[in-house]
Amino acid sequence: MRGYRRYYGKKLLWYLVTLFVALALNFFLPRLMPGDPIAAMVSQAMGDGAVIDAEAIRAVELQFIERFGLDQPLPMQFLIYLRNVVRGDFGTSFLQHPRPVSDIIGESITWTLALQLPAIIVGWILGNSLGAIAAYLRKGFDKGMMPVLMFVSNVPAFGLAIVMLWLFAVNLGWFPVGGGFAFDMVPHFSWDFMMSVLRHYQLPFWTMVFITIGGQAIGMRSMSIYELNADYVKYARFLGIKDSKIIKYVFRNAMLPQITGLAFALGAMVGGNIVAETVFSYPGIGITLLSSIRGGDYPVISAATLIITIMILLANLFIEIIYGLLDPRIKAAQQDV
Amino acid sequence: MGKVILEVKDLKTKYVTRFKESVYAVDGVSLQIEEGKSLGVAGESGCGKSTLALSLMGYYFAPLHYISGDIIIDGKNISGMKPDEVRKNVLGREVAYIPQAAMNALNPTQKVIKFVEDVVRAHDKSMSKKDIYDMAVQRFEVLGLPKEVLSKYSVELSGGMKQRTVIAISTIKSPKVLIADEPSSALDVTSQKMVIKMMRELMEKGYIKAMIFITHELPLLYNVTDDIMVMYAGQIIERGTAHEMVFDPVHPYSKGLMGSIIVPEAGTRDVKLEAIPGTPPNLKKPPPGCRFAARCKYKIPTCEHGERSPRIFDNNRMHRCIHSVEYLQERYKNEREAGSKGKVSETGAE
Amino acid sequence: MFHQVKQAFRSPKFLVGFIIFTSLLAAAIIYPALSMWHPLQIITRPGFAPPGRYVNIQDVIQVRPLDRRMILVDVDANRLGNVVADEDVYNMIYFLETFLGVPVGHLSVDDQATVIYYWNNYYDPTYRHAGMIMAEHLAWTRFHAQLQVALDGTIIIAYRDEEGYLQEGAGFDTQDFVHIRDIVNVYHFPLGTDNFGRDMLTQMLSAMLVSLRMGLIAGLVATSIGLTLGLVSGYLGGFVDDAILFITNIFTVIPGFILLILITYSLGPAGRGVTVVSAVIGLTAWPWTCRAVRSQVLSLRNRDHVNLSKLSGHSMPRIIVKDILPYVASYVVMALILQISTAILAEAQLSMLGLGPNTAEVATLGLMMQWATMFSAWQVGAWWAFVPVILAIALMAFSLNLMNTGLDQVFNPQLRDS
Repeated sequence: MRGYRRYYGKKLLWYLVTLFVALALNFFLPRLMPGDPIAAMVSQAMGDGAVIDAEAIRAVELQFIERFGLDQPLPMQFLIYLRNVVRGDFGTSFLQHPRPVSDIIGESITWTLALQLPAIIVGWILGNSLGAIAAYLRKGFDKGMMPVLMFVSNVPAFGLAIVMLWLFAVNLGWFPVGGGFAFDMVPHFSWDFMMSVLRHYQLPFWTMVFITIGGQAIGMRSMSIYELNADYVKYARFLGIKDSKIIKYVFRNAMLPQITGLAFALGAMVGGNIVAETVFSYPGIGITLLSSIRGGDYPVISAATLIITIMILLANLFIEIIYGLLDPRIKAAQQDV
Repeated sequence: MGKVILEVKDLKTKYVTRFKESVYAVDGVSLQIEEGKSLGVAGESGCGKSTLALSLMGYYFAPLHYISGDIIIDGKNISGMKPDEVRKNVLGREVAYIPQAAMNALNPTQKVIKFVEDVVRAHDKSMSKKDIYDMAVQRFEVLGLPKEVLSKYSVELSGGMKQRTVIAISTIKSPKVLIADEPSSALDVTSQKMVIKMMRELMEKGYIKAMIFITHELPLLYNVTDDIMVMYAGQIIERGTAHEMVFDPVHPYSKGLMGSIIVPEAGTRDVKLEAIPGTPPNLKKPPPGCRFAARCKYKIPTCEHGERSPRIFDNNRMHRCIHSVEYLQERYKNEREAGSKGKVSETGAE
Repeated sequence: MFHQVKQAFRSPKFLVGFIIFTSLLAAAIIYPALSMWHPLQIITRPGFAPPGRYVNIQDVIQVRPLDRRMILVDVDANRLGNVVADEDVYNMIYFLETFLGVPVGHLSVDDQATVIYYWNNYYDPTYRHAGMIMAEHLAWTRFHAQLQVALDGTIIIAYRDEEGYLQEGAGFDTQDFVHIRDIVNVYHFPLGTDNFGRDMLTQMLSAMLVSLRMGLIAGLVATSIGLTLGLVSGYLGGFVDDAILFITNIFTVIPGFILLILITYSLGPAGRGVTVVSAVIGLTAWPWTCRAVRSQVLSLRNRDHVNLSKLSGHSMPRIIVKDILPYVASYVVMALILQISTAILAEAQLSMLGLGPNTAEVATLGLMMQWATMFSAWQVGAWWAFVPVILAIALMAFSLNLMNTGLDQVFNPQLRDS
């Protein structure tokens, strides 16, 4: 038990350090660029031709200087930044002045989480099942399936998103062409609104599921083939244990490395999905990021990238905890620590 | 002569490779073991001894395939049974297996007791978890294993402990025949001893009635088993008691194989250590005639034609050479004398 | 080395990947060179033109005496000024944006052609939109019917009168024919044109080459950083190893794509040249290579030949280059191939967010996708503007990944069976 605590203590500490590095990068990277950061931000905001009230920008600018202590030395600024982040205070948006950034991000991250979390989980489960079946059946199913899955896993998420929209929304008209809910609705809790959300949810959701399936299935297939040839499979067979039971051993063991695999792939997956979200004009973090990049809305970009990073760190930590509980090999290692 | 527990008649099995080629790894093996006896199988790597171990289970799955022959355990012929019947009624109950690489024989993500449950339930669904646990604890204790092992994962066990756990699990349903494939090869000397001791105990306490012990370590066989068979290219080429096989091998191959060991007993000091030149034949296309002919010092032209049938001699001894026992023994005697005079024939050519 | 290359070609996966890749590469080099247009040359009017053969309308008219002009309603906005009043167009835009999901700001009163195009494609007189009273609904259906009458007959031929003004409404003669040989400009667009009126195929193939070059730069940057850090970390061990491993682990968890967004945004539009963006992509992609190289070097560090070299007093750089590098070379090549394919994808995704290379001289696959989405190619059904580009990205990544898997099976025999 003490081993556990130390192991997780160490992990937690490591993640805190990583979080700190992420915060530092988020703060320093834009400031390392040549020129006056605020001026650059404002000029970028103006330059991209977004419809912004110049006065609003000036107001934001002053508020920004004051709130982020831009007249103070850099290390001091960083401390102020840290304090603000801890408070959840990211300033106000340039584009949607005077709406606070935390408000904008808070709303869009909810939509993103509601879309991507289930999509990645469902895709992971389906992909792993498919890979396991392919490994078990081999022959025709495997031979026909694998090249297709390999190809699918190389299609960019946004590409699939566009093709899905074109096929199912524009050509066939089965689904709405974009958005998170019908245009004439205001988000509220009602049956109609929920149905509308559900209808708009389908295409983005299945696109992301589909994209996740490919890579997961390939990984699971090779892991399963490796496990199927393992000694314990042969031994269990010779003890008279049913094949159906042995398959359960194999898939469980093959799936465990897939969990860590998910942790490693998560960053790239979420990044790709965020771009795909913009194609669907889904009201998530993707479209927020896109419009703030177009409009030069620096406070929103900074907060959005930070939030995504934190989410991925949390997901990684969560996966690592789960994995530690599931795999006795790790458990044994933990107790040795 | 005791009751025959296991009888194998002309068993033939093959491997089918990815490229649809057949490898005839067990090609007409016959053997008999009486109650309370143990039989050792020796041979170079790739001679088919591990395949023989798998084939004797009577349960075949890709890439191993059954061709022909009978396996009779305690009067019951299992080679005609349906696979699922074999699985349910034979495996674990009549015949049990200890794998070559026991290090990885246990599912790494399962507690030992869970696996024991699965093994028992595969044959007997009626037993409760409690009953299985009690039975396992009792059996483990008799065999000198702490019961804590049951609640551990295999990764938490040391190599020797893992091997002994595997043996205990294999024999939990008290099978009549135990087939052990190199059970101690990967272990250190202390663990090896404990494993051997455990296997002896299994016999003595009657948990198993007969044992086949497969290894490339001949000294081990001499110490553990009653009889020894030597296998070459998928066939048994000689069989005798452990003592006879070590001190008086007849077939030129056995002679060569025994020549490569030192038995620390009187009268063996003049056994010259020598390796057998050449490599075993390709089992995808076994050569006609004697399979050892290509590597044999005593080869005569007729060796490479016709099938060599086993010759029985003395009291239930068997060999598969074209030459008579007397001729071979004479040759060996001459060589020994020549060797002790210092005229060592290097290549052994005639 | 030669032997290893030969071995790689024995793997069917590598071979298939190699064939696809070289075909793409050959097409990307040869076709734009033979094409009659510069990749970014604007040829036709704006608007997605579907694949096919095109004749220039002016040419057609000029074949006959210079007394007529042909006007196509759906491409000539000026002509429509007579059909629909500005106020009606304004109302149509409002209706399209509010009820039919057309993005705000996409349509303008000045561009009547597009408004009418959208209207004809999206407006459904039988559908009753929520939040609209019956009178309003009926007014719109009446307006729609009027519009259809006004738009009826899409081709109009006008004769010039004595003063040279065009006289409309004269109708045209169904017996007017022109021999195709007499037309000077007959263009073939195998993949149509993009919204700017540029030939898609020439543009896409040249963009493929640019994307590939970007991938190569990014891959080389990532691989050299990863290789150097991995070699140093694995070979030196101790504190240096701990430090490098720590940093590497941090950067494997912090999502590279997010860092990429942050850096490219900070660079500003002026700083986002093709090479700079590629280098930045490489800068965020090294941790994988570093990890792979490090673990290889760790297992090599205590091999006999390395120890022998150490005992012989060879210098560290020499040992690394002569005794270690050859053994990690295959891993490095595999990592480079993977880096190239991920970099191509990263460029595409960045461009989709508007953070791709800022250039007017070349197109990249990502920029092409950005243009296609910005001008809503999928909404107007212009599949030729995005399907081939997506396929190109996927095929390149697929072929590179196939080659990587093939190499993996050759160099890691324990995986060969799978």
